[in-house]
Amino acid sequence: MAKRKTAKRAGKAGSAVRKSARAALSVATSARRTVKQRVAAMAEAPLAVVESDKDLQAMLGVLRNRDEPIKVRLAALQSLGAAAFSVIAFESCRGDYLATLRQVADDPDPELRQRVLGILMREKDGFAQKKLLDGLKNPAKALVPPAKALQLLSYDVHAEAYAAARAILAKPPNDDARREALRLLAADATAAPLFEKLLRDKKELREIRQIAASALHALNPEKLQQRAREIILDKSDYDDIKATSLMALATFGDDEALGKDKALLNSVSRFGAGKAPAKYKQGARRFLRKFGR
Amino acid sequence: MDVELQINNTPNPKARFVSWVPSPCRIRVTNPLGAPAPIVNLKITGVSAAGGGAVVFRGGATGAFASSVTLPVPTNGTSVPFFVAGKFGQPSTNNGDVTIQARNGTTLVGSVPVMVRIRKNANTLTTGERNRFVAAFAQLNNQGLGRFADFRNMHVSVSLPQAHGAPGFLPWHRAYLLDLERELQAIDPSVALPYWRFDQPAPNIFTPDFFGASNALGTVQFAATNPLQFWKTDGVQGVNRRPLFNTATAPPGLRTEAQTIAIGTQFPAFRTMEGNPHGFAHTSFGGSIQDPATAPKDPLFFLLHCNVDRLWAKWQRQNGRFNPAVAASYDSNPNNRPGHNLPDTMWPWNGVTGGTRPPTAPGGAMAASPCVGAPGPQPRVQDCLDYQGAIGAPARMGFDYDDAKFI
Repeated sequence: MAKRKTAKRAGKAGSAVRKSARAALSVATSARRTVKQRVAAMAEAPLAVVESDKDLQAMLGVLRNRDEPIKVRLAALQSLGAAAFSVIAFESCRGDYLATLRQVADDPDPELRQRVLGILMREKDGFAQKKLLDGLKNPAKALVPPAKALQLLSYDVHAEAYAAARAILAKPPNDDARREALRLLAADATAAPLFEKLLRDKKELREIRQIAASALHALNPEKLQQRAREIILDKSDYDDIKATSLMALATFGDDEALGKDKALLNSVSRFGAGKAPAKYKQGARRFLRKFGR
Repeated sequence: MDVELQINNTPNPKARFVSWVPSPCRIRVTNPLGAPAPIVNLKITGVSAAGGGAVVFRGGATGAFASSVTLPVPTNGTSVPFFVAGKFGQPSTNNGDVTIQARNGTTLVGSVPVMVRIRKNANTLTTGERNRFVAAFAQLNNQGLGRFADFRNMHVSVSLPQAHGAPGFLPWHRAYLLDLERELQAIDPSVALPYWRFDQPAPNIFTPDFFGASNALGTVQFAATNPLQFWKTDGVQGVNRRPLFNTATAPPGLRTEAQTIAIGTQFPAFRTMEGNPHGFAHTSFGGSIQDPATAPKDPLFFLLHCNVDRLWAKWQRQNGRFNPAVAASYDSNPNNRPGHNLPDTMWPWNGVTGGTRPPTAPGGAMAASPCVGAPGPQPRVQDCLDYQGAIGAPARMGFDYDDAKFI
């Protein structure tokens, strides 16, 4: 257990608040109280957690204990997360906190596993990263579904994560996993041709084409501007992807060039006057107003 | 006869924004042709567009405000001062939706459009306000390549001790929000940072047209017309946010506004709100916003903190805690780390790196405002308390909340 000084230095002004926090923690960690009482008390406990090793350990004990009601354990996790925002006071107990999270990363409760792995991945924790990659390679070892694993790996993208995403993309177990694999690959500089192909494929889901547009803009902005223009000019393409393309041009395009592009402006004008949903047409009108039309 | 009206004491049209706090203004005759006397009595009023903002006036730095003020103005070009403020409860919805007019008798001799620019509840923004805000935010992010990257890099693991877990938590975030808001206003001056009032239901925020709707996995989905669909941070696309509550309701367990303001009348007690409601608002979600080092990856972070700042503002008003010289306004302690004492400059705006400060200082100095001078390019902790200039007018920072009055 890490040694730390109790941060009792706010004087009388904060003493009532601190007393109340310690009382709340006592309720929150007491098995004699009802689940409802304990969950409610967890909300007042963060202050006690950051100011006392004993209180921190009591809270970590609740989180670790598989015999505790899961609602109480989830509330303890939330309370610890709130306490973690008091960075300076929490600094010396961070090690114990992360060690406990690793211990419960394979908990039988899927919600707790998911939340804990999320926190660890946002800490760029190597243990969690390995668990997630192992699970993608061997579904029998998976702690979370593939889509969730890919989403969490995006907090610390690197070559091994890209390889896992490409493997999922080659044989996606479901649409969610395919979508998350693409989101992860949007950070991979070598994936621009893949996204260009997806954006141009009218048979693709709108959401996938939206991801492709966003990814392509990041990886090759000029190419996105070019493809977005083509989509707007293409009378046979869908209204929603036209709206996304128009938004890309309106927000990130070269206004000087766009203002001189009569073919584009005429197409946007037709789009704005056509049968597209009202908010798409409003977007078209806003775009045209920008160029005095 | 023609007159010039200067808002915020400058002819710069970019400074034609006011809040609840009195803005110093000037009027002078620029063309005396047709003036009946060496001094003319000019009546200054505000004309509001339908649904627009409203302004009030007074001739001096003190006294009651009225819907108009009549001033004797020399025709020789000498400026005459007056003050204008937004009429509390009637903020603008569009830039220039109030016109300040000067009349000599019934003859209009000068006018300027102004905006009563106020931070509002994000849940009740008009469609136009919402769309302008997300457009400006998306441009600031510009796929992770824009100025927003600096704001992201200001709030990472190595810099968290500058901003969290110590008395400077509230002043640092006030400066952080203001810096971001000014950058948004450089893109679209009609934008003010809205707040997410997390103790009330705010279903209009969590929609595909605004801050996105989360799917079961926690991937946020945006409408095809929402430019936030191109959001990117740390090289990674999109926003991960999984509400752990029904977004048609308020998150459970958070202190209400009344409970937060009642935490205590002294700052050392009040600043414990960093845990609840602040920390609990963050941990009401899974995803980036849940953890200190990744929270600003989600643009919702800034609406959450805008509400935290608003709560501080309302607590300050209720308890008269604007003056850094009053002990109860802050938590001064010899053990405070650098950056958390009233006279300390704050990182990263001070550019100081190494030692007790992070190794880099992203973003440079605080963005300047055409309307006000405070808090200056390198704000100190003490510069961020008197945001309305209640103690000293030059301290006003140029923002206000829709439900937090001036005096």
